[in-house]
Amino acid sequence: MIKNKKGNILTENIIFIVLNLVFITILLLFLFSKTGSAAVLEEKYAKQIALLIDATEPIMTIHLNMEDAIQKAEKENFPAGEIVKINGNVVTVKLREKGSGYSYSFFNDVEVNANFDTLNKKEYYFVISEK
Amino acid sequence: MIKNRKGTEKIISVYWFAILFIVAGAMVYMVSSFYGKPYDTREIEAGLLADKAAGCVSYAGYLRGGVLSQEFKEKFIEACGLNFETEDVYGWKEQGQYFLQIDFYDFNSYPGSNSLFSAFAGNDNLKDFCNLEGEKSSFCLERGLYTLDKEGKLYAIKITSIVRKTEKNEQ
Repeated sequence: MIKNKKGNILTENIIFIVLNLVFITILLLFLFSKTGSAAVLEEKYAKQIALLIDATEPIMTIHLNMEDAIQKAEKENFPAGEIVKINGNVVTVKLREKGSGYSYSFFNDVEVNANFDTLNKKEYYFVISEK
Repeated sequence: MIKNRKGTEKIISVYWFAILFIVAGAMVYMVSSFYGKPYDTREIEAGLLADKAAGCVSYAGYLRGGVLSQEFKEKFIEACGLNFETEDVYGWKEQGQYFLQIDFYDFNSYPGSNSLFSAFAGNDNLKDFCNLEGEKSSFCLERGLYTLDKEGKLYAIKITSIVRKTEKNEQ
Protein backbone atom coordinates (compact mmCIF):
# COMPACT_ATOMS: atom_id res chain seq x y z
CA MET A 1 0.00 0.00 0.00
CA ILE A 2 2.74 2.40 1.05
CA LYS A 3 4.75 1.54 -2.07
CA ASN A 4 1.73 2.23 -4.32
CA LYS A 5 1.06 5.53 -2.60
CA LYS A 6 4.67 6.63 -3.09
CA GLY A 7 4.50 5.52 -6.72
CA ASN A 8 1.37 7.58 -7.26
CA ILE A 9 2.91 10.68 -5.72
CA LEU A 10 6.01 10.36 -7.89
CA THR A 11 3.99 9.85 -11.10
CA GLU A 12 1.74 12.80 -10.27
CA ASN A 13 4.73 15.03 -9.62
CA ILE A 14 6.46 13.98 -12.84
CA ILE A 15 3.30 14.66 -14.86
CA PHE A 16 2.93 17.99 -13.10
CA ILE A 17 6.53 19.01 -13.86
CA VAL A 18 6.35 17.78 -17.47
CA LEU A 19 3.13 19.73 -18.06
CA ASN A 20 4.71 22.84 -16.60
CA LEU A 21 7.77 22.44 -18.81
CA VAL A 22 5.61 21.90 -21.91
CA PHE A 23 3.62 24.99 -21.02
CA ILE A 24 6.70 27.18 -20.51
CA THR A 25 8.29 25.85 -23.74
CA ILE A 26 5.19 26.75 -25.75
CA LEU A 27 5.21 30.21 -24.19
CA LEU A 28 8.91 30.75 -24.98
CA LEU A 29 8.41 29.53 -28.56
CA PHE A 30 5.61 32.05 -28.95
CA LEU A 31 7.82 34.84 -27.59
CA PHE A 32 10.75 33.98 -29.86
CA SER A 33 8.51 33.61 -32.92
CA LYS A 34 7.05 37.06 -32.26
CA THR A 35 10.31 38.88 -31.54
CA GLY A 36 12.26 37.39 -34.43
CA SER A 37 9.51 37.26 -37.04
CA ALA A 38 10.26 38.32 -40.60
CA ALA A 39 7.65 41.10 -40.50
CA VAL A 40 9.19 42.69 -37.39
CA LEU A 41 12.72 42.50 -38.86
CA GLU A 42 11.58 43.93 -42.19
CA GLU A 43 10.02 46.95 -40.49
CA LYS A 44 12.97 47.43 -38.13
CA TYR A 45 15.60 47.43 -40.89
CA ALA A 46 13.55 49.48 -43.41
CA LYS A 47 13.10 52.25 -40.85
CA GLN A 48 16.66 52.00 -39.57
CA ILE A 49 18.13 52.27 -43.07
CA ALA A 50 15.85 55.20 -43.97
CA LEU A 51 16.88 57.07 -40.82
CA LEU A 52 20.57 56.32 -41.42
CA ILE A 53 20.30 57.74 -44.93
CA ASP A 54 18.53 60.84 -43.58
CA ALA A 55 21.46 61.41 -41.24
CA THR A 56 24.16 61.16 -43.91
CA GLU A 57 25.84 63.48 -46.35
CA PRO A 58 26.99 62.59 -49.86
CA ILE A 59 30.23 60.66 -50.26
CA MET A 60 29.70 58.48 -47.24
CA THR A 61 29.51 54.73 -46.85
CA ILE A 62 27.44 53.13 -44.11
CA HIS A 63 27.99 49.56 -42.95
CA LEU A 64 25.01 47.95 -41.26
CA ASN A 65 25.13 44.59 -39.51
CA MET A 66 22.03 42.67 -40.58
CA GLU A 67 23.03 39.20 -39.45
CA ASP A 68 19.65 38.28 -37.95
CA ALA A 69 17.76 39.44 -41.04
CA ILE A 70 20.14 37.61 -43.38
CA GLN A 71 19.79 34.40 -41.37
CA LYS A 72 16.02 34.75 -41.48
CA ALA A 73 16.08 35.25 -45.26
CA GLU A 74 18.30 32.18 -45.69
CA LYS A 75 15.83 30.13 -43.63
CA GLU A 76 13.06 31.33 -45.92
CA ASN A 77 15.19 30.48 -49.01
CA PHE A 78 15.28 34.12 -50.04
CA PRO A 79 18.51 35.39 -51.64
CA ALA A 80 20.52 37.54 -49.22
CA GLY A 81 21.60 39.87 -52.03
CA GLU A 82 18.02 40.94 -52.64
CA ILE A 83 16.96 41.82 -49.10
CA VAL A 84 17.38 45.59 -49.40
CA LYS A 85 16.16 47.51 -52.45
CA ILE A 86 16.25 51.27 -52.81
CA ASN A 87 13.98 52.77 -55.42
CA GLY A 88 14.17 56.55 -55.60
CA ASN A 89 13.85 57.60 -51.99
CA VAL A 90 12.04 54.50 -50.77
CA VAL A 91 13.81 51.69 -48.91
CA THR A 92 12.23 48.25 -49.17
CA VAL A 93 13.34 45.34 -47.00
CA LYS A 94 12.07 41.91 -47.94
CA LEU A 95 12.99 38.66 -46.18
CA ARG A 96 10.65 36.13 -47.79
CA GLU A 97 9.15 35.28 -51.16
CA LYS A 98 5.57 35.96 -50.14
CA GLY A 99 4.54 39.51 -49.43
CA SER A 100 6.00 42.72 -50.73
CA GLY A 101 8.29 43.45 -47.79
CA TYR A 102 8.27 46.69 -45.82
CA SER A 103 8.89 50.09 -47.39
CA TYR A 104 9.80 53.39 -45.79
CA SER A 105 10.84 56.66 -47.40
CA PHE A 106 13.69 59.02 -46.55
CA PHE A 107 13.74 62.78 -47.17
CA ASN A 108 17.45 63.23 -47.90
CA ASP A 109 17.79 63.91 -51.63
CA VAL A 110 20.79 61.70 -52.31
CA GLU A 111 21.67 58.77 -54.54
CA VAL A 112 21.96 55.54 -52.53
CA ASN A 113 23.29 52.17 -53.59
CA ALA A 114 22.60 49.20 -51.33
CA ASN A 115 25.16 46.38 -51.54
CA PHE A 116 25.38 43.03 -49.81
CA ASP A 117 28.82 42.43 -48.32
CA THR A 118 29.74 39.13 -49.96
CA LEU A 119 32.93 38.76 -47.91
CA ASN A 120 31.57 38.53 -44.38
CA LYS A 121 27.96 37.81 -45.44
CA LYS A 122 26.61 39.59 -42.36
CA GLU A 123 26.40 43.16 -43.53
CA TYR A 124 24.91 45.48 -46.06
CA TYR A 125 26.76 48.65 -47.02
CA PHE A 126 25.22 51.76 -48.45
CA VAL A 127 27.12 54.13 -50.70
CA ILE A 128 25.76 57.66 -50.55
CA SER A 129 26.48 59.99 -53.42
CA GLU A 130 25.10 63.22 -54.83
CA LYS A 131 22.21 63.09 -57.28
CA MET B 1 -6.68 12.66 6.52
CA ILE B 2 -4.86 11.16 3.55
CA LYS B 3 -7.96 11.66 1.40
CA ASN B 4 -8.20 15.28 2.45
CA ARG B 5 -4.51 15.89 1.73
CA LYS B 6 -4.84 14.44 -1.78
CA GLY B 7 -7.89 16.58 -2.39
CA THR B 8 -6.03 19.68 -1.27
CA GLU B 9 -3.06 18.83 -3.53
CA LYS B 10 -5.38 18.46 -6.53
CA ILE B 11 -7.01 21.79 -5.77
CA ILE B 12 -3.57 23.40 -5.47
CA SER B 13 -2.50 21.99 -8.84
CA VAL B 14 -5.71 23.23 -10.45
CA TYR B 15 -5.02 26.68 -9.00
CA TRP B 16 -1.43 26.42 -10.16
CA PHE B 17 -2.51 25.80 -13.73
CA ALA B 18 -5.10 28.57 -13.48
CA ILE B 19 -2.33 30.96 -12.40
CA LEU B 20 -0.09 29.70 -15.22
CA PHE B 21 -2.82 30.35 -17.78
CA ILE B 22 -3.45 33.83 -16.41
CA VAL B 23 0.28 34.67 -16.50
CA ALA B 24 0.63 33.19 -20.00
CA GLY B 25 -2.44 35.09 -21.19
CA ALA B 26 -1.03 38.34 -19.84
CA MET B 27 2.34 37.67 -21.50
CA VAL B 28 0.75 36.81 -24.85
CA TYR B 29 -1.38 39.96 -24.66
CA MET B 30 1.56 42.20 -23.77
CA VAL B 31 3.87 40.74 -26.41
CA SER B 32 1.16 40.87 -29.08
CA SER B 33 0.25 44.46 -28.27
CA PHE B 34 3.92 45.51 -28.22
CA TYR B 35 5.02 43.76 -31.41
CA GLY B 36 1.67 44.35 -33.12
CA LYS B 37 2.33 48.08 -33.09
CA PRO B 38 4.83 49.65 -35.47
CA TYR B 39 8.02 51.29 -34.25
CA ASP B 40 7.38 55.01 -33.96
CA THR B 41 10.39 56.68 -35.55
CA ARG B 42 8.81 60.06 -36.30
CA GLU B 43 10.51 61.86 -33.42
CA ILE B 44 13.94 60.88 -34.76
CA GLU B 45 12.86 61.67 -38.32
CA ALA B 46 11.55 65.13 -37.37
CA GLY B 47 14.79 65.78 -35.44
CA LEU B 48 16.90 64.80 -38.44
CA LEU B 49 14.79 67.02 -40.69
CA ALA B 50 15.31 69.96 -38.33
CA ASP B 51 19.07 69.25 -38.22
CA LYS B 52 19.21 69.14 -42.00
CA ALA B 53 17.36 72.47 -42.22
CA ALA B 54 19.68 74.04 -39.65
CA GLY B 55 22.74 72.88 -41.61
CA CYS B 56 21.17 74.22 -44.77
CA VAL B 57 20.84 77.82 -43.52
CA SER B 58 23.76 78.07 -41.15
CA TYR B 59 27.32 76.77 -41.08
CA ALA B 60 29.78 77.19 -38.21
CA GLY B 61 27.58 79.83 -36.59
CA TYR B 62 27.30 81.97 -39.72
CA LEU B 63 24.39 82.36 -42.08
CA ARG B 64 25.02 80.78 -45.46
CA GLY B 65 25.09 83.09 -48.45
CA GLY B 66 21.88 83.63 -50.39
CA VAL B 67 19.62 82.28 -47.67
CA LEU B 68 17.62 85.47 -47.10
CA SER B 69 16.59 85.73 -50.73
CA GLN B 70 13.45 85.17 -52.76
CA GLU B 71 15.26 82.53 -54.81
CA PHE B 72 16.02 80.50 -51.69
CA LYS B 73 12.39 80.77 -50.65
CA GLU B 74 11.17 79.52 -54.01
CA LYS B 75 13.67 76.69 -54.27
CA PHE B 76 13.76 75.81 -50.58
CA ILE B 77 13.46 72.01 -51.05
CA GLU B 78 16.14 71.83 -53.76
CA ALA B 79 18.46 74.26 -51.97
CA CYS B 80 18.37 72.16 -48.80
CA GLY B 81 18.72 68.82 -50.63
CA LEU B 82 15.32 67.51 -49.58
CA ASN B 83 12.90 65.17 -51.26
CA PHE B 84 9.42 64.93 -49.75
CA GLU B 85 8.21 62.13 -52.05
CA THR B 86 6.93 59.09 -50.17
CA GLU B 87 5.85 55.56 -50.92
CA ASP B 88 2.43 55.33 -52.58
CA VAL B 89 0.37 53.85 -49.75
CA TYR B 90 -2.59 55.11 -47.72
CA GLY B 91 -2.90 58.02 -50.17
CA TRP B 92 0.41 59.45 -48.94
CA LYS B 93 1.55 60.62 -52.38
CA GLU B 94 -1.34 63.07 -52.73
CA GLN B 95 -1.35 64.19 -49.10
CA GLY B 96 2.30 64.93 -48.38
CA GLN B 97 3.75 63.62 -45.16
CA TYR B 98 6.29 66.29 -44.32
CA PHE B 99 6.28 69.95 -43.48
CA LEU B 100 9.27 72.17 -42.81
CA GLN B 101 9.31 75.86 -41.99
CA ILE B 102 12.17 78.19 -41.14
CA ASP B 103 11.52 81.60 -39.63
CA PHE B 104 14.21 84.24 -39.20
CA TYR B 105 13.86 86.85 -36.47
CA ASP B 106 15.88 89.82 -35.40
CA PHE B 107 17.68 88.56 -32.29
CA ASN B 108 17.21 91.81 -30.37
CA SER B 109 13.43 91.73 -30.60
CA TYR B 110 12.93 87.95 -30.41
CA PRO B 111 10.56 86.60 -29.19
CA GLY B 112 7.59 88.83 -29.67
CA SER B 113 8.36 90.26 -33.06
CA ASN B 114 7.22 89.16 -36.48
CA SER B 115 9.60 87.10 -38.55
CA LEU B 116 11.87 88.96 -40.96
CA PHE B 117 11.91 86.13 -43.43
CA SER B 118 10.23 82.74 -43.75
CA ALA B 119 10.56 79.76 -46.01
CA PHE B 120 8.50 76.60 -45.95
CA ALA B 121 7.98 73.39 -47.86
CA GLY B 122 5.64 70.42 -47.72
CA ASN B 123 2.06 69.99 -46.60
CA ASP B 124 1.19 73.00 -44.42
CA ASN B 125 -2.14 71.43 -43.40
CA LEU B 126 -0.14 69.20 -41.07
CA LYS B 127 0.31 72.14 -38.70
CA ASP B 128 -3.37 71.87 -37.78
CA PHE B 129 -2.91 68.32 -36.49
CA CYS B 130 0.04 69.08 -34.25
CA ASN B 131 -1.79 69.22 -30.96
CA LEU B 132 -4.21 66.42 -31.68
CA GLU B 133 -4.01 62.89 -30.39
CA GLY B 134 -5.14 59.83 -32.25
CA GLU B 135 -4.99 58.43 -35.72
CA LYS B 136 -4.56 61.70 -37.59
CA SER B 137 -1.91 63.19 -35.36
CA SER B 138 1.42 64.32 -36.73
CA PHE B 139 4.69 64.55 -34.90
CA CYS B 140 5.72 68.18 -34.58
CA LEU B 141 9.06 69.52 -33.48
CA GLU B 142 10.26 73.07 -32.91
CA ARG B 143 13.92 73.93 -32.63
CA GLY B 144 15.75 77.20 -32.38
CA LEU B 145 19.24 78.45 -33.13
CA TYR B 146 21.13 81.71 -33.38
CA THR B 147 23.39 82.75 -36.19
CA LEU B 148 25.38 85.72 -37.44
CA ASP B 149 25.50 87.10 -40.92
CA LYS B 150 28.73 88.41 -42.49
CA GLU B 151 28.04 91.91 -41.20
CA GLY B 152 27.75 90.59 -37.66
CA LYS B 153 23.99 90.95 -37.36
CA LEU B 154 22.52 88.34 -35.06
CA TYR B 155 19.46 86.32 -36.07
CA ALA B 156 17.22 83.95 -34.14
CA ILE B 157 16.01 81.08 -36.28
CA LYS B 158 12.98 78.94 -35.50
CA ILE B 159 12.66 75.62 -37.31
CA THR B 160 9.36 73.74 -37.35
CA SER B 161 9.51 70.20 -38.69
CA ILE B 162 6.48 67.95 -38.93
CA VAL B 163 6.29 64.31 -39.94
CA ARG B 164 2.93 62.59 -40.39
CA LYS B 165 3.35 58.99 -41.62
CA THR B 166 0.84 58.06 -38.93
CA GLU B 167 -0.30 54.76 -40.44
CA LYS B 168 3.21 53.30 -40.32
CA ASN B 169 4.14 54.64 -36.92
CA GLU B 170 1.09 54.62 -34.71
CA GLN B 171 -1.83 52.23 -34.20
